[in-house]
Amino acid sequence: MIEIDRLTKRYGATLVVDDVSFAVEEGTLAVVVGTSGAGKSTLLRMINRLVEPSAGRVLIDGEDTRAIPEDELRHRIGYVIQGYGLFPHRNVADNIATVPRLLRWDSKKVAQRVEELLDLFQLEPAEFAHKFPHELSGGQQQRVGVARALAARPALLLMDEPFGALDAVIRSKAQDDLLAIQRRLGTTIVLVTHDMNEAFRLGDRIAVMDQARLLQYATPAELLMRPADDFVERLVGSAERPFRLLSLIRVQEALEPGHAEGEPIAASESLHDALSRLLWTGRKALPVADASGALIGQVSVGGILQRGRPLP
Amino acid sequence: MSSTASRTNTFGVVPPRPALSLDHLGFAIAVLIGVALFAAPFATYRATRIASGEARLLIEALPIAMAAALVLVALGVAIGAVLVRDPLSRLGSAVIGLAVLLPSLGLSAGYLTPADNTFARVSPSLGFWLLSLAFSLLAVDALARMRLGPYGRLTALAVGVSALALLLLSGIWDDLSILREYYTRADSFWREARQHLLLASGSMAAACLLGVPLGIVSHRLRTLRIAVMQGLSIVQTVPSIALFGLLMAPLGAIAASVPLAAALGIKGIGAAPAFIALFLYALLPIVANTIAGLSQVPSAVVDAARGMGMSARQRLVDVEMPLALPVILAGIRIVLVQNFGLATVAALIGGGGFGTFVFQGIGQTAIDLVLLGAIPTVALSFAASIVLDALVDLSKGTPA
Amino acid sequence: MTPASFVRLTALLVLAAFIAMPQVFAFLFEPLIAPGAPAIYNQGSLLVLTLQHLRTVCLATMVSTVLAVALGIFVTRPAGAEFLPLSRSLVNIGQTFPPIAVLAIAVPLVGFGEKPTFIALFLYGLLPIFENTLTGLTQVPSPTLEAARGMGMNARQRLVQVELPLALPVILAGIRLSVIISLGTATIGSTVAAKGLGEVIIAGLQSNNIAFVLQGGLVVALLAVLIHDGLVLVERVAARRLGGSLNEVS
Repeated sequence: MIEIDRLTKRYGATLVVDDVSFAVEEGTLAVVVGTSGAGKSTLLRMINRLVEPSAGRVLIDGEDTRAIPEDELRHRIGYVIQGYGLFPHRNVADNIATVPRLLRWDSKKVAQRVEELLDLFQLEPAEFAHKFPHELSGGQQQRVGVARALAARPALLLMDEPFGALDAVIRSKAQDDLLAIQRRLGTTIVLVTHDMNEAFRLGDRIAVMDQARLLQYATPAELLMRPADDFVERLVGSAERPFRLLSLIRVQEALEPGHAEGEPIAASESLHDALSRLLWTGRKALPVADASGALIGQVSVGGILQRGRPLP
Repeated sequence: MSSTASRTNTFGVVPPRPALSLDHLGFAIAVLIGVALFAAPFATYRATRIASGEARLLIEALPIAMAAALVLVALGVAIGAVLVRDPLSRLGSAVIGLAVLLPSLGLSAGYLTPADNTFARVSPSLGFWLLSLAFSLLAVDALARMRLGPYGRLTALAVGVSALALLLLSGIWDDLSILREYYTRADSFWREARQHLLLASGSMAAACLLGVPLGIVSHRLRTLRIAVMQGLSIVQTVPSIALFGLLMAPLGAIAASVPLAAALGIKGIGAAPAFIALFLYALLPIVANTIAGLSQVPSAVVDAARGMGMSARQRLVDVEMPLALPVILAGIRIVLVQNFGLATVAALIGGGGFGTFVFQGIGQTAIDLVLLGAIPTVALSFAASIVLDALVDLSKGTPA
Repeated sequence: MTPASFVRLTALLVLAAFIAMPQVFAFLFEPLIAPGAPAIYNQGSLLVLTLQHLRTVCLATMVSTVLAVALGIFVTRPAGAEFLPLSRSLVNIGQTFPPIAVLAIAVPLVGFGEKPTFIALFLYGLLPIFENTLTGLTQVPSPTLEAARGMGMNARQRLVQVELPLALPVILAGIRLSVIISLGTATIGSTVAAKGLGEVIIAGLQSNNIAFVLQGGLVVALLAVLIHDGLVLVERVAARRLGGSLNEVS
C-alpha cells in the first residue's frame, strides 16, 4: 500500500503541490488527473524522490521513503515517462536489463528476466532483443519502456503520461495491455494523465488535481455521481457522464429474465457496449451469455437507461 | 513565477542554488588576484632589449602611493567577486580594476626606466598578466551572464577599442618595451598591417565571389555538391605551411614560363601563394554554409513563393538568399577569424603581414617583437568575431 | 574495394615508400632544382622526422584530451556549473588566437625546441576537445537523463553509462579536429627548432630549394589527409560499437 501523507512542494513562494493526501491499495491502479500545471507530475516525482517534498511524507507498506537511500528507493520503484527515455546507445535487451544490472543480478538471471519480459510484452526476443530504440515503432518503444520499468519486479510502478506520444488506435491497445499485465503481475500503479477518458478507462480510483490541490479522490462511479465541486463536474464532462457511467457497469448487473432474439452479448461486457449494439441493430433487447456461452437472460434498452443516471 | 514554471516544466536536474553560498568562480578570481599582487613580479626590467630580464615586484615597480592604490583597488575587486552576484556590478568592478591597472603599467615603465636611457626595456611580467587575466575573466563572465544583444556587444567592443586607443594615443604607455619596438619600426608596422588586412580580407572577398555561386549551384546538383565538398575538405585538412609549399612549385613554374604572370607579381614566393592558399582555405566554410543555409529554408516557404508565381530567379534573390543569409554570414565569420590567424604564417614564404614581426621576433628571441606581431593579429580576429557574430544575430532578427 | 578506399590505400603506400626510401623518387624532383643542389632532403632521415612529428602530436593530443574532457565533465556537473558561461566564452575567445601566436609567445617563456611547440599544441588542442565535450554532454536528451535518474542510477553511473557513451562520437570529432590543427602547428614548430617535418620545408625556404619545400609539403599534407580519414573511420566504428558494447549478457 502507498500512503501519500500531506505532501507539499513549494518553489519559493509558489505552491506546486499543496497538502495532498491519499492512499493506493496494493495491486490497484490509481490515476492522477488534472489540467497541465496542476502539480500532477511533481506529485508523482515526489514518490520516488526525484523531487524532494517540502513537507509531508510517503509511506510504502508503512515504511517512510525518506528512510531509504534515494537510489535504492528508485531501484524498487518502476518509472515510465512520456517519451520513455530509452537509452539510444543500448539495444532493447540492454535497456531492459538496466536496473537488474545496477542491482548486480548475475548475468544468467538478467538474461532470463529480459526474455520473460520480452515475451510478456509480445516482443519476439530473437527479433527485438538486439534492436536499438531508433529501430522501433512508437508502440514498441512504449512497451520496452514499461518492460524496462518492470525489470527488477518493483512492487510499485509510476507512470507519467505513458501513452501521451501514441496515436489513438495504438494507445487504446496499449491501455488494454497495461491493464492485462497489471492484473497478471499484481503491481500497484500510480499513473498521471491529463486525459479524462484514459483516467476512466484505467483507474480503480481517480485523484483529481487542480492548482496544486487534490479536489477529489474516488472511484470512477463516485466521481461521476457525486463530483466534489464544479471543477470536477466540468472535468468529468456533463454531456459524457451517462455514457461514462454505463461503461463502468457490467451487463451482468442489468440482467433481466427473458429470451431476446439475436447474437448474445457476454455478461462481462459493459452496458455502454450493450447500448451501442442495441442502437445499431435497432432491437429492444439482447440475449446475454455467461463465460461458457450459455444463455442466462437478456438486457433491455429500458434496463440500461435506468442505470445511465445517478441512483437516488 | 516564471522561474518556478521553468523549474517544474523542465526536469529539475540542477538543484536550486542555496541563498548563501560562496561564488566558486569569484573565489578562483580572488585567489588569482592574491597571487598576482603578492607572489608574482609586476614588471620585468632589462638593460637592453635582448638582455635577460630582472623581475620587479609591485612595490618596486611603482611609486609607493600608486602601488598602494592598485593593491587596494585589486583587493576591492577580489572581495566583490566573491560576495557580489549581480553581473552589472561585477562588470563595473572589473572595468574599474582595468582602468587602474592599465595606466599603472605605463607609469611603472616610466618609473623604472632611468632618465634618458633609450636602451633599457620595461615589459609587463607575470603579476600584471595575472591581474589583467583576473579582471578580464570577471568582465567576460559578467558579459556572458548579461546575454547582451548584438547592439550591446558592438557597443561593448566600441568602448573597449576607444579605451585602448586612448591609452595608446595618450602616450602613457610610451615607455613600455613593446611600444619602443613599435616606434623604431612604425613605418613597416603599418605597411605589414595593410598587407595583413589585404591578404586576409582580399582572399575572403575572392572566396565569397566564387564560393557563394558555387554553393548555390552545388545546393541544386547533388553530384557536384559531393565532389566539391570532398575536395575542399581535403584542402582544409592540409596544414597551411604545407599548402604554401605545394603552391610554390606550380606558381614558380608559371612565373618562369608566362611573362605576363610574372609582370603581375605572380611568383613562387611572396604574397601570391599566400593569397591563393588563404582563398582555398576560405572556400570550404563559405560553400558549406551557403549550401547549409539554402537547405534549411523551409520548403513550404519556397512552395508558397512558387505558388505566387515567382520565377526561379526571384525565389532565389527575394526568398532563399535572405533566409540563408545568417548561415552564410556565420561562414564568413569563420573564414575571417581563420584568415587573420593564417595570414601570420604567410610571412614564412615572404608574403608579409604581422607574421613578419612574429618570425623576426622568434629569430631574435625578442618577445616584444613577437608580441608586436601577435597582439594586433589576436585583436583583429577578436574584433572580427564580435562584429560578425553581431551581424549574424542582426540578420536573423530583421530579415531583409 | 571502393574507388575511394583504393585511392587512400595507394596514397598510404606511396607515402610509406617515400618516407622509407626517398632516394628512389629523386628523379621526380630533379627538374625543380638548380644544378648541383640535392633533390632529396639530405639533412636528416625523413622517417625519423615523421616519427618525431607524430610523437609530439600524439603526446600533446593525449594530454589535451585528458584535461579537456575532465574540464568538460567538471563544468557540466552541478559543482562546476558556475564556470559554464565563462568557459564557453573563453573557448570562443581562445579560438580567435592563431596557433602561431601561441607558439611564438611560448618561445621567450620556455626557450626554443620541443617545449614551446608542445605547449602550443597542448593549449590550442584543448579548445576543440573541450568545446565538443561540452556539446556532447549538454545535448544528451533530458528524458534519457530523467529516466536514468528515475531508475536509481547515481551521478557517477549516469555519467559513465549514459552521458559519456552518448557524447563519445562528438568528443571523438573534437579530438580529430585537434589532431589536424596540431599536425599543422607542429609543422610551424620547426621555425622554433622543434624536430619535425616542418624542418624540410624551412630548409627548402632557406636554401631556395623548391624540391625540399615540395616534398616536405607533400609528406605533411598526405599525412594529415590520411590521419584525418583514419580518425573519421575510428569515429564510425566507435559509433557503431557503442550500441553493442554492453551486449555480452543477452
